[in-house]
Amino acid sequence: MRAHNGFYGEYGGQFVTETLVPALDRLEEEFLNFLRSDEDRERLDGYMRDYAGRPTPVYFAENISKKYGFDLYLKREDLLHTGAHKINNTIGQALLARFMGKGRVIAETGAGQHGVATATAAALFGLRCTVYMGRTDAERQLPNVRRMKLLGAQVSVVEIGQMTLKDAVSAAYRDWVASVQDTHYIIGSAIGPHPFPEIVAHFQSVIGDESRVFFSRRGGLPDAVIACVGGGSNSIGMFRGFLDDRGVELVGVEAGGRSPLPGDNAASIGCGIRGIFQGCLSYVIQNGTFQIEDVHSVSAGLDYAGTGPEHAHLHDTGRVRYTSVDDAAALTAFHELTRLEGIIPALESSHAVGYALRQAESLAGKTVLVNLSGRGDKDMDIIDAMTGGES
Amino acid sequence: MKGIYILGGYPDRGRFVQSMRAVAEAGADFIEVGIPFNDPVADGPVIAGAAMETANSGITVEEILEDMESCRRSGVRLFAMTYCNIIYRYGIARFSERCRGLLEGVILADLPNRMHSFFYERGLDLPIIPFVTLESRGDDIVSASYSPGSFVYFIGLRGITGATADFESTEMTEQVVRVRQHTGKRVVIGFGIKNGDDARRALALADGFVVGTEAVRRQGDLPALREYLEGLLQTVPAGDH
Repeated sequence: MRAHNGFYGEYGGQFVTETLVPALDRLEEEFLNFLRSDEDRERLDGYMRDYAGRPTPVYFAENISKKYGFDLYLKREDLLHTGAHKINNTIGQALLARFMGKGRVIAETGAGQHGVATATAAALFGLRCTVYMGRTDAERQLPNVRRMKLLGAQVSVVEIGQMTLKDAVSAAYRDWVASVQDTHYIIGSAIGPHPFPEIVAHFQSVIGDESRVFFSRRGGLPDAVIACVGGGSNSIGMFRGFLDDRGVELVGVEAGGRSPLPGDNAASIGCGIRGIFQGCLSYVIQNGTFQIEDVHSVSAGLDYAGTGPEHAHLHDTGRVRYTSVDDAAALTAFHELTRLEGIIPALESSHAVGYALRQAESLAGKTVLVNLSGRGDKDMDIIDAMTGGES
Repeated sequence: MKGIYILGGYPDRGRFVQSMRAVAEAGADFIEVGIPFNDPVADGPVIAGAAMETANSGITVEEILEDMESCRRSGVRLFAMTYCNIIYRYGIARFSERCRGLLEGVILADLPNRMHSFFYERGLDLPIIPFVTLESRGDDIVSASYSPGSFVYFIGLRGITGATADFESTEMTEQVVRVRQHTGKRVVIGFGIKNGDDARRALALADGFVVGTEAVRRQGDLPALREYLEGLLQTVPAGDH
């Protein structure tokens, strides 16, 4: 574990109602047992290989590389079953739920990718499943709502607040406090109370581990590794593979939204300050009266006022550089990748690609790895709305 | 110990102050003033809705504390109930300094007992009231006894404010007996108390109760609040205060 007593430096902790404390302890115990058990880890590896489709390839994007003047490699998490990295974590946590004897799982979802991945794991392991999703997100990511329902999950649409990811997380906590005896809450981002950030990062670290092996075999690590950061699960999974490689620059890309003004973006590290939000101490976008600020991003998966505590720590230590890409640049990157490589990326991942394209000059001649955390099929309606169907 | 929860600044500062006075006049032993936070995960629709509306209205913690001071003369004991971010952002030591003599303690909905040290180590000099829940294990109950808080806040249901407690369940009665045995502290039942009947049963079982949702629901309508409080507080036997 990288967390010490539940903290990454000064960030993290367990800021939840007392009712949940025994469940968090039980979860930590089960997770530690899992880490010690070769048999359990082999079981997860089996599901990752035969069911989810791991390892995912690292693809050299030749056409973009030629046009932009640096070598762009893409870690193809978009090729996984259900279309994003989220399945790495949900299969792992569903196994933990089974070990704990829980018959039901709940989840929050923004873009719907984590909801679909949870509903999928629930179907696979015969668990009952409820997914909380804000109304705004349910409307803009409708295909994923349909998929969750087909998979047998109950989709509970949340109609409070901004009706996005924050409100879905709160609704899931409210369910969990009442249902904790038979229910496990599968948190999808590297957020929440300890041990969730550690568990999610662990299950996602397969992304960075596989990437590192690929480059080691090829004869040299990349100069820069880039991933998008909302709650921060795909990015922490990628970064963990390279944290000790001081020569590899790590870049986390937050959602710059429409502008740097309050309410217009979701860049928690760039525009937020320290606060205690949804289970942990981290960087949080908030206003002068200590309330959580409204946020905006074109991508539902990054549209969140907080970020994982390990990211907050990695920002303070300087090991990872956090920056942001706005809606427009993410959309440009979305189209570039689609047209030049024939890969339709999720709008979340498009932020990471957008950073690389924007920095083409400073990256000239370098080897750059971008985590393509998900595919963009779910985003067709947003793309149509943004481009008037002319894309 | 009969306690009433009132939401600070709701539905406006004037009616908040009047609500506090009404509670003091009706004979409550203590008032828990909620300082609104716009991510109230422990609260059900009534308090959460009111808290989000008030939090987003721009009211400051300072304004709520000023309004609380105006009720000091009534002699009713005051606690603040809120979420961690409010006090963390205000400045933990600064909040402590500001509330000395005003508050008898703080109740933080998203701070479990094991994390109290986070606030004490950063300069909080006010007691944090410990929680015991239906899920609490033996060690959790024992650890609550080390708290400087004057009572144990017992959450008698699994869920959020506004849900219904089940006084018939042996699970609840047995847990309250355990808390009294192991902590030596008075036990106040919060969450799930709606009417005089619930309050009587809470007092038969424990040392006190707190009513929240049903009071907040009437903060905008003072005559209705007074009538409700009268029915609630005068039909139940006086506490040990």
